[in-house]
Amino acid sequence: MAQPLVKKDDDHDDELDYSPFMGIEKGAVLQEARVFNDPQVDPRRCSQVITKLLYLLNQGESFTKVEATEVFFSVTKLFQSKDTGLRRMVYLIIKELSPSSDEVIIVTSSLMKDMNSKIDMYRANAIRVLCRIIDGSLLTQIERYLKQAIVDKNPVVSSAALVSGLHLLKSNPEIVKRWSNEVQEGIQSRSSLVQFHALALLQQIRQNDRLAVSKLVVSLTRGSVRSPLAQCLLIRYTSQVIRDMSNHGQSGERPFYEFLESCLRHKAEMVILEAARAITELDGVTSRELTPAITVLQLFLSSPRPVLRFAAVRTLNKVAMTHPMAVTNCNIDMESLISDQNRSIATLAITTLLKTGNESSVERLMKQITNFMSDIADEFKIVVVEAIRSLCVKFPLKYRSLMTFLSNILREEGGFEYKRAIVDSIVTIIRDIPDAKESGLLHLCEFIEDCEFTYLSAQILHFLGIEGPNTSDPSKYIRYIYNRVHLENATVRAAAVCTLAKFGFMVESLKPRIIVLLKRCIYDSDDEVRDRATLFLSVLGGDGTVDADKDSKDFLFGSLEVPLVNMETSLKNYEPSEEAFDINSVPKEVKSQPLAEKKAQGKKPTGLGAPQAAPASGIDGYEKLLSSIPEFAAFGKLFKSSSPVELTEAETEYAVNVVKHIFDSHVVFQYNCTNTIPEQLLERVNVIVDASEAEEFSEAASKALNSLPYDSSGQAFVAFEKPAGVPAVGKFSNTLTFVVKEVDPNTGEAEDDGVEDEYQLEDLEVVSADYMVKVVVSNFRNAWESMDEENEHVDEYGLGQRESLGEAVKAVIDLLGMQPCEGTETIPSNARSHTCLLSGVYIGNVKVLVRAQFGMDSSKDIAMKLTARADDLSVAEAIHEIVGSG
Amino acid sequence: MILAVLFANSVGNVLIERFNGVPAEERLHWRSFLVKLGAENLKGVKNEELLVACHKSVYIVYTMLGDVSIFLVGKDEYDELALAETMFIITAAVKDVCGKPPTERVFLDKYGRICLCLDEIVWNGLLENTDKDRIKRLIRMSFLDSLFYQIFNYLLLLLFDQTRINFL
Repeated sequence: MAQPLVKKDDDHDDELDYSPFMGIEKGAVLQEARVFNDPQVDPRRCSQVITKLLYLLNQGESFTKVEATEVFFSVTKLFQSKDTGLRRMVYLIIKELSPSSDEVIIVTSSLMKDMNSKIDMYRANAIRVLCRIIDGSLLTQIERYLKQAIVDKNPVVSSAALVSGLHLLKSNPEIVKRWSNEVQEGIQSRSSLVQFHALALLQQIRQNDRLAVSKLVVSLTRGSVRSPLAQCLLIRYTSQVIRDMSNHGQSGERPFYEFLESCLRHKAEMVILEAARAITELDGVTSRELTPAITVLQLFLSSPRPVLRFAAVRTLNKVAMTHPMAVTNCNIDMESLISDQNRSIATLAITTLLKTGNESSVERLMKQITNFMSDIADEFKIVVVEAIRSLCVKFPLKYRSLMTFLSNILREEGGFEYKRAIVDSIVTIIRDIPDAKESGLLHLCEFIEDCEFTYLSAQILHFLGIEGPNTSDPSKYIRYIYNRVHLENATVRAAAVCTLAKFGFMVESLKPRIIVLLKRCIYDSDDEVRDRATLFLSVLGGDGTVDADKDSKDFLFGSLEVPLVNMETSLKNYEPSEEAFDINSVPKEVKSQPLAEKKAQGKKPTGLGAPQAAPASGIDGYEKLLSSIPEFAAFGKLFKSSSPVELTEAETEYAVNVVKHIFDSHVVFQYNCTNTIPEQLLERVNVIVDASEAEEFSEAASKALNSLPYDSSGQAFVAFEKPAGVPAVGKFSNTLTFVVKEVDPNTGEAEDDGVEDEYQLEDLEVVSADYMVKVVVSNFRNAWESMDEENEHVDEYGLGQRESLGEAVKAVIDLLGMQPCEGTETIPSNARSHTCLLSGVYIGNVKVLVRAQFGMDSSKDIAMKLTARADDLSVAEAIHEIVGSG
Repeated sequence: MILAVLFANSVGNVLIERFNGVPAEERLHWRSFLVKLGAENLKGVKNEELLVACHKSVYIVYTMLGDVSIFLVGKDEYDELALAETMFIITAAVKDVCGKPPTERVFLDKYGRICLCLDEIVWNGLLENTDKDRIKRLIRMSFLDSLFYQIFNYLLLLLFDQTRINFL
């Protein structure tokens, strides 16, 4: 509910004090609304009352169903008046009141009459109101008029019809799709606004028809677009077409790049920025393609308009994630933005600099950020802290200055989320950089001496209990922990007792002293603290009764083994009874969202609220789907699911893609089929797979799809058996077989008899990379050194002549299917040598790391030295076999 | 989608708000967030100087026009650039209606017309009209009509008088 208007100070003069809505009350306004029923309508008076009603609605006031209905019926009487101003207000209030479907009927005839009026304003607004309030059945009645309106010579009417089309497309797509000829005409309109709306609507109508969108883009990129807004739309659609083309393996010169590049010279700044953004987001964009876009963005960094500076720095921030080297030229301009008055711009500049900065510039950057931090809001500070965390992981040698910075800001004022971000960062750094452990723990200890957040104190105490006992001098932390027992609330005291017990258990020399401290805790005022102290004394043998050394480690350091959410639910459901709560009854499986639900959510436009949580990894959904099919239930744990591989061209009648699911001794192909022909129903949809070029595979099971109506998707499966744990490879040819039944477009019913048919699909390959799961390693050096040197295999390869070093690096990454670490997939332009770090988990859950060093000579011949380390030497050798055979 | 259009006065009370596709339970949160954003950043800002921010996955463009602060929130295709364009049209239309950057009182006096302007510019979260003069024509129909009507009557009268004189 909006706040009411505040009353102004009494010393203001009366003239200023006056507000037309002062003391406005809903009841009184509803009374006034009776004026609408007068036989002689007073347009001025009625307009005033409508304004008051609008004011109330805008203030968050809501009308009851009865009130709204009453007002709505009164308002409809105003259609008698010929006053255009009043009519305009009537249109607006009807939209605001959103009458229910049974009430709508009373105004539809008046509105339909207005739709054909000679006054343009009537036509435009009647269309808008009708489209807002009618349903599908009525829409078919007025469809003819709407089509006429789209090609109306008055741009206002035409725009109104087109924008209505955009809204109606969500509820009645079938009807709106029939308007494409008229909309196409709208694109040729001389009015820039009509062209903008027509382009948006036509793209929406044809969004599933890649060929049509491509044709649209081709025709418009020749320069017939007038308004900058429409030009921006065109750039977006062009990017989409480029993406689709690259997904479908079209190679050679990148299409439309020249168009995007030419837009960088457009007179409207909006278009220039959109084009620059589109170029930076191209898949596999080269530094040559990036350069003009970055140059343009760099110019905008010093623009006097904050919006342009923001747009430029936001785009550069994104580029810095994938091509940090390309952005370094803008660093000087971005450093000047650190002091920008607009804090959003300053934060983006800082986080970009943190990504692009090199090791030598870290200290200077930290100094600048220190001055900046004091005057920004917590939400911006969190972004900076997160950027510093990743910088620390990237440059482990710089941990000292970064840790000092974090500890300094930890002492300053700040809200819970901010403090939590800092604590999380320090914890991450301690975990990833062993040298940072001691100083990091001390900073955390100092923080809990004066921490107002119970949650954070408890979290830090827990972390201290795990890491503290393994440091060179564990005793120095005891003071900080024991202080908590005296100074804090019961939750923190209980956490401190646990931590003390962990120290006592892990450090034998401290045990007697810890027992003394724990004994003092058994007189605590809180039950939980007393209970814990007594329990731990017993575990540590302090009370001389039990010394359960074997179990105590599990008890103190073991994990719960069940997800906390499930544990919580089970405990809530448990009813106190004779039967004790059994932890084994808690389900261990983490519930994941069903696929269908995820899909629906993805399509729905969500509100402003919290951004959608990162989608749960697809593998969860796939695992659930496959385990629900009895034929595949016995295949064991799913190792990996590939991303979908298209088996059909973009504009064909049946769209099919395949997902390869890898199990230890099976491979399951999931064929996702979509029927795009309106007059056909497909039944018994199956895929016949010829595995003659995949000798190690033999077909084990298949599952057909029973029915596939128009515009729906379904899955057919074929499973193959292969030798267990062996990364078998092979090529499979696929044929889609099905029974086609004609569907009557009027009744929607399918004929009884069908015709058997088949459709040749593209071939499919299972390659070595399918047996590798990409795994991110935050600190490659640590992970590398922690692996046994014995399991290392080194070899050298000649990769032949290549256009660039980047091409060779990409080929090796794609061949192995591993995760590039620490941004080493990005290669500086003109580099002659490069080291790429890769990490992954090979089938059989074997962790493997690869260090690939590339060198290029003057004749562009590339040599590679590849070092692989794995938990198992045979896997390191297998990596070399893959490279050797690739 | 333009998720929200919000006008507030100098002390942060909401004058007009339009949400599109925002669940009712999130509106209060956004209302207070925007008002706070304005209170923190709009002091001393020049008329119509655009400020910009992003919060989670949405963009916010806001400005001061006379005594009134205006906030636009958008996502996806309505990024900071599209919102800036929309803001430009809204401020031009409001200035047109009020004759100058409005005080709170002038704004409330012209409340009905400003609502009409907004209705022409943003409809259900989509930018519709961008031409300031066309918007002006569309919402001032009654005035123009009456003007034309008066001129027409005056001409008729003149004609009638002339005929009468001639007749006499």
